[in-house]
Amino acid sequence: MVHKPVLAICSLTLILCTVSALSACAEFEQRDKRFYYRALWNFALREDLKELDIEFNGVDFGHSNLYENLLLTGAKDVPAIEERARKETLRFIDSRPVLNPNEEAIAPTYMKLAWKAQNTFDEAHALHRSTYDIYVSDLADRKAAIRKVLAYYQDSEYAITAKRLDHQRLDTFPYSKSFRRKFPLFNATIWAYHYLQVVVYDVLAASPDLQSKQKAVAPILRTYHGYLDKPPVEWTFMPMTEELSPKFAAEYPEIANIFNNLHMMHDNISDILTTDLFPTWEEKRKEIYRVTQAYYWASADATNPFIVPAGQPHHSGSTPAMEPSAPSGHSGH
Amino acid sequence: MKRNTFRIALLLVLMVPTVVWALDHDNLDPNRPIAIEDAFVMPHGEIGVEGGVLFNDRKQGKSRFVFQPQLIIGAFANTQLELSSNLSTDPTTVVGDDKSGDLTVGVLYELNTETLNIPAFAVRVGLGFPTGVNSKGVDAELTGVMTRSFGRWRTHLNVGYTFLGSPQGNERSGGYRVVAAVSYPLGYPTSFRDTIIANVFTRQSSSVGQPNPTGIGVGLRHQVSSRIVFDMGLGTEFAGPPDRSLFFSTVGLSVGF
Repeated sequence: MVHKPVLAICSLTLILCTVSALSACAEFEQRDKRFYYRALWNFALREDLKELDIEFNGVDFGHSNLYENLLLTGAKDVPAIEERARKETLRFIDSRPVLNPNEEAIAPTYMKLAWKAQNTFDEAHALHRSTYDIYVSDLADRKAAIRKVLAYYQDSEYAITAKRLDHQRLDTFPYSKSFRRKFPLFNATIWAYHYLQVVVYDVLAASPDLQSKQKAVAPILRTYHGYLDKPPVEWTFMPMTEELSPKFAAEYPEIANIFNNLHMMHDNISDILTTDLFPTWEEKRKEIYRVTQAYYWASADATNPFIVPAGQPHHSGSTPAMEPSAPSGHSGH
Repeated sequence: MKRNTFRIALLLVLMVPTVVWALDHDNLDPNRPIAIEDAFVMPHGEIGVEGGVLFNDRKQGKSRFVFQPQLIIGAFANTQLELSSNLSTDPTTVVGDDKSGDLTVGVLYELNTETLNIPAFAVRVGLGFPTGVNSKGVDAELTGVMTRSFGRWRTHLNVGYTFLGSPQGNERSGGYRVVAAVSYPLGYPTSFRDTIIANVFTRQSSSVGQPNPTGIGVGLRHQVSSRIVFDMGLGTEFAGPPDRSLFFSTVGLSVGF
């Protein structure tokens, strides 16, 4: 009788000691999940502009499904990515999901490989969602609302820098472009998601009421679905916010930078998961974390070599760009 | 007579419009719908209001309905506060640490998330205050929680010990509890609304000299909307003391905001 509580305490102590010992391991990391900024406009997009929200739910599936499949196939099997995984994503989009999918069920391996990078995505995606909700809501002071969600976002250690990064240089790592070269269809599909994610801001802002917003997004969705049916492989760089929603980018340059940086980070991670330069999962994890923490997190702003100094032109322009005839590969950004 | 009571009770349980709030149906909270908690806490800043009705058909003694309200708060980073109670229809016959009307305050701290080589670990500390019927003394509980996934399957283990502050009559001064469970998200790759959970559990009986209540349960969590999760579960204690549950079922809802 007396011994059983002692035994239980000893067992729990042993568990805690084991956990403490494990904490010394490099892989030991915390989850740090944060709730979105709570406000009256939460879920306005889902409730009032369902047709657009459904598309974003499909986008959520696409990224995670890609990473999981790249990881599990070692990026060796082109049909597994270009045909099977891409078409799985298209089927999910076609199912018109009214709720965002559980990404941990889509990509359980990737989530365990690079949780900090995923959490960085999750928080930036939450900022995307908050700004959509605000743009769909009939708010008297939209700017104030945007300021609040931006401040909340930037309060996180996982916040992506709001500085303008040199995306062209971020696309010149030894492994850069490996994903788009090997899997051009899925890459173009991912860029189509990014097109949709940023093109809607100016259109929504220019529409005075819900009905006109619904009308305004209809042609965008047609264009987007055209891209899904026939991926725009002729694009040579990801869509940029300032080109597709220039008013939004001018009004909220920090958020535009965050979204551009987010989308570039997606491209970097796709390349890391594709390249043979990091043959093991552990090496891929290390490089994902190195790039994320040194070049994308706002906490690295003081030392980030990719920040474009104020006043200098940004050379990632004209999106969607067509493949140039020059062999340089870039679109004159 | 007993069979009719059971049928009516089951029907009532299935009809009761209860609410449990949670945004994430894949995140398991205790009793929603069955006794297992995963090592993942609610996101920092989220609040969940949960509630359910449990029907407990005992081998010996009256069947009971138990209402299980619960408030869960993502109070700090990686830390979840839980405030819960159980309100039973036959409160005077409850034996053990969780008397009807007792208020339980718990803290679940997530030590780490799961990586390729390390499971997720969490530790739960709880205090049960004697606000209920025939309740005396403050009970204390310490539980270790582990979650490890294999593909889309997640396995969970809860190992805990409860110290009774003031055992009464033939009650034990404390007892251990072990629950193992698996959960799986149904519907991949076209639907992500449902998670099925199955558990097996054993715990020291509340009274000295009685065998461990040991049983199994199965449950489902269904995402109704962005903010609401519905759950239902059932199970049995196939071994244990004479007043063990021959059959239990529960329905509940979780709302996150």
